[in-house]
Amino acid sequence: MWNKDRSLLLSLGLVRALLIIIPVLCLCSPWMVRWYDLTDLDGIGLLDGSVFVPLMLCLNTAGVCAMVCLVYLYRLLANIRKSEVFVHQNCKCLRIISWCCLLASVPFAVFGLWRFLSFVMAFTALFFGIILRVVKNVIEQAVALREENDYTI
Amino acid sequence: MPIIVNLDVMMAKRKISSGDLAKIIDITPANLSILKTGKAKAIRFATLDKLCEALQCQPGDILEWRQEDE
Repeated sequence: MWNKDRSLLLSLGLVRALLIIIPVLCLCSPWMVRWYDLTDLDGIGLLDGSVFVPLMLCLNTAGVCAMVCLVYLYRLLANIRKSEVFVHQNCKCLRIISWCCLLASVPFAVFGLWRFLSFVMAFTALFFGIILRVVKNVIEQAVALREENDYTI
Repeated sequence: MPIIVNLDVMMAKRKISSGDLAKIIDITPANLSILKTGKAKAIRFATLDKLCEALQCQPGDILEWRQEDE
């Protein structure tokens, strides 16, 4: 039977897997980007020419952001697993993840000059960043409520 | 916070220990410590009632308002 513990374990497992997959993908990115550069000749964008350098910069910058996101997501999930949901540490994790999403949207927005399709990724990252910011604010309020409750004698 | 808890003063006046007071008013010593050290954000009327009964005092003897420094 499916329950919240299993979804948490699955999330932790996926985060662990991604913590391995993303560095591997970053290491393999020169080959993948070269292949993309050679095959996707009809991509639409403002700027023409090879996309090797901009795409490499974009993917590796986003990769660093993704790694930071995953580390803090892992900490967040580990805290939730310990039943520590409304704590300041989780707010910090959500704030960092949110900033990473916002930062990751920048290289994709820049790469949008070469391939308009990249704006979709930039928008998605930006949207996630803003939504996480709202979630962080909600958790912050919940932490304040919990503290008030804990310190009401 | 400008509300000062003078519980330790009242306890000293009544010569009662923290452990004894915690037992009488039926709260944990940890919670009593939060109250004594001024870390508490609020106090329930029920707790205040028990404290006043145990220490034979008025709420004003335990709680005091002071002007916050600029």
